[in-house]
Amino acid sequence: MPGKGYHLATWFRLTPALLGLLVFVLVGAASLAALLRFSQFESWSGYLHNIYLWRVVRFSLWQALLSSVLSLLIAVPVASCLTHRQFKGRGVLLQLFAVSMVVPTIVAILGIVVVYGHSGWLHALFGVETPLYGLLGILLAHVFFNMPLAVRLLLQSYGLVPSGQWRLASQLGFSRWTAFRLIEWSYIKKALPGAFVLIFMLCFSSFSVVLSLGGGPKSSTLEVAIYQALRFDFDLNKASFLSLLQVSICSLVALMVYRFAPANQQDVSLLDARLYPLKDSILALFGDCLAMALAVFLVIPPFLAIFDPIFSVTFYQTLMADATWQAVWVSLKIAIPAALLSLFLGGCFGVLARMTMDRGRLAFLSSKIEQLGSMILMVPGLVLATGLFLWLRSIGLSSLSGYWVVVWVNAVMALPFVLRALMPVLYQQEKRFRNLYTSLGIHGANRLVIEWPLIRKSVSQAFGYAVLLSLGDMGVIALFGSQGLVSLPLYLFQLIGSYRLQEGSCIAVILICLCLLLFYLSVRFIGGKTHVKY
Amino acid sequence: MLSIDLYYDWDAFHAHYQTSLAPGMTTLLGASGEGKSTLLHLLGGFLQGRGSVSFQGQALEHLLPYERPISTLFQSDNLFPQLTVWQNVAVGIAPSLSLQAEQKAKVSWALKQTQLSDKADQYPQALSGGQAQRVAIARVLVREKPILLLDEPFSALDPALREEMLALVNDVTERFGMTTLLVSHMPSEAVFVGGKVMLIEKGKIMANEEASVLSGGRIPEAFSHYLRMTIAS
Repeated sequence: MPGKGYHLATWFRLTPALLGLLVFVLVGAASLAALLRFSQFESWSGYLHNIYLWRVVRFSLWQALLSSVLSLLIAVPVASCLTHRQFKGRGVLLQLFAVSMVVPTIVAILGIVVVYGHSGWLHALFGVETPLYGLLGILLAHVFFNMPLAVRLLLQSYGLVPSGQWRLASQLGFSRWTAFRLIEWSYIKKALPGAFVLIFMLCFSSFSVVLSLGGGPKSSTLEVAIYQALRFDFDLNKASFLSLLQVSICSLVALMVYRFAPANQQDVSLLDARLYPLKDSILALFGDCLAMALAVFLVIPPFLAIFDPIFSVTFYQTLMADATWQAVWVSLKIAIPAALLSLFLGGCFGVLARMTMDRGRLAFLSSKIEQLGSMILMVPGLVLATGLFLWLRSIGLSSLSGYWVVVWVNAVMALPFVLRALMPVLYQQEKRFRNLYTSLGIHGANRLVIEWPLIRKSVSQAFGYAVLLSLGDMGVIALFGSQGLVSLPLYLFQLIGSYRLQEGSCIAVILICLCLLLFYLSVRFIGGKTHVKY
Repeated sequence: MLSIDLYYDWDAFHAHYQTSLAPGMTTLLGASGEGKSTLLHLLGGFLQGRGSVSFQGQALEHLLPYERPISTLFQSDNLFPQLTVWQNVAVGIAPSLSLQAEQKAKVSWALKQTQLSDKADQYPQALSGGQAQRVAIARVLVREKPILLLDEPFSALDPALREEMLALVNDVTERFGMTTLLVSHMPSEAVFVGGKVMLIEKGKIMANEEASVLSGGRIPEAFSHYLRMTIAS
């Protein structure tokens, strides 16, 4: 219902949301402008002939390609096995997979170092010396994070297979391989390009992993090169060139893969999701066992390793140390304001998107607003932070800038996830009640009050994700962290760097507990304990 | 002879099906929710019940769905949308889709029987509802299983097409000596296909008669109540 019925007053009520959006856009633009002011475009052509730079680009692409292909190669049989077989520990494994995606990167890196590093578990148990630092370490860490992610994405597309197909396959006596070839593959292949792009991007712009496990200039990625240009050379020109390169390569890969991706179409089925038994064979069982063993071997040991030094003296000494609690305080001081800010921005985006939804000529805006919020995924956080820092300095706010830059960039980086948690329920409310609201004259904050019981669960989840991401962030803080501003992840990074793993383990455990606690509190107090039916 | 003595419990629903079926058509009548489809799912092995079911002396209850001598036409989802018509029939012979010459000939024969020869390379999306169900019938032909279960597969078709399909099923049943069980909620279908007719209420088989009684002058009492309900609604 475009036009007439929609008064100026209604738009007036959107002012706060519009202001939020405006601040987001302006700060982004100002940061970018500040960065570009320090760029000398004439010198950029010189970088194109820089051999080291091209090696970094090549390595970035190569490790991202290997990481995503490996993750997917393992994930496909694992997802198939998890779909078809019920076994003890299946539920626990799925939960572990979910956890491994949100566990702070640096914590997992600690686990990997404890398992695979010098004098690590692998060395102690089998005498195997793994050349962890370099490509191998990077791949191990990337597969640890992204194989479970790939499994989850694939399981989603398994969920799209109508039960009727399994039923038919069961009656026709399909073997597991036949079912994979004729049924599963045609669903998986629609999800694979998307999963590939996502994992490729994540690995391509991977920062903490490469910084901790890369082990030198031989295996550096663009993201790390940006960090080095900023932190050690303070070469803004080079940094902005590198980030532009990074953004262009990411966009190019995404464009290429989506071009060749088959269109996603959903089949409808009248049946509930159900599985029916397929013909089993020794070969199928063997394949399943192999895939699961590989997955379990890659994912579980690093988890356990974090808790390895928990009974040592150093662990308790660290627990009592001032530096530890100082880092806890810094982490909280960053994560909570960042999450609140992210939630506020998400709310502004959400309100605007739902107001423009299905509104004639404005309808296209709702998806654009959402995309604007997610665009941040393409821009390296380091670059954004540097731009913001320069801008704040140029307008004379340098004294408090470090802290606020970290908060703002963390908030903005969590925004895509906040939007993802918030938007579906906001759209749904708008769709169901728009006409009722209009006819009763319910506007603005009054709607929030009415909808709160229905949306609080999503809000709590959005806030929880934002807190988790900010608590675990190791990118921006690495750039701006100084004596007074060392968060738990940065502290952990420093400890791993000097191979003080027992102290690191203490910090990791505290960080995990803090994540769990804040997520629980968010779900419990924002989400509420009563289930509201709707 | 298909002998059935099956129990199935689900919440407050307690079914006990006890009967035997001779080769030929049998129509299962009953209102929705009375347990018609449940019986077919038990026979197909898609639901686990208690009791026994045997076909010509061979016990079936412990067999997995693909080990049972049964073909089923479901209400929906009978075809794989990602396979062509030809492939959809061929999976009935060899799930691997690698067929020998005589098996290929058989697929072609089945497609001819169901007047689908010119649709062999098309995908199910390009077919009409009637054509799609004929593909499923073609697969029944190549599978050569002695029992055929039909779970209202034609309910979405218009009356003329529905009769055409029922005639095809009837013909197939007769020619290949199959034991066919048709689930329906329309007494007219039972009359049309002939054979036997059963009435299911609350998970029990309440009557088992010749289908002709429904069109005769004196309708058995068990059916008359159901028929009144059908006409009233």
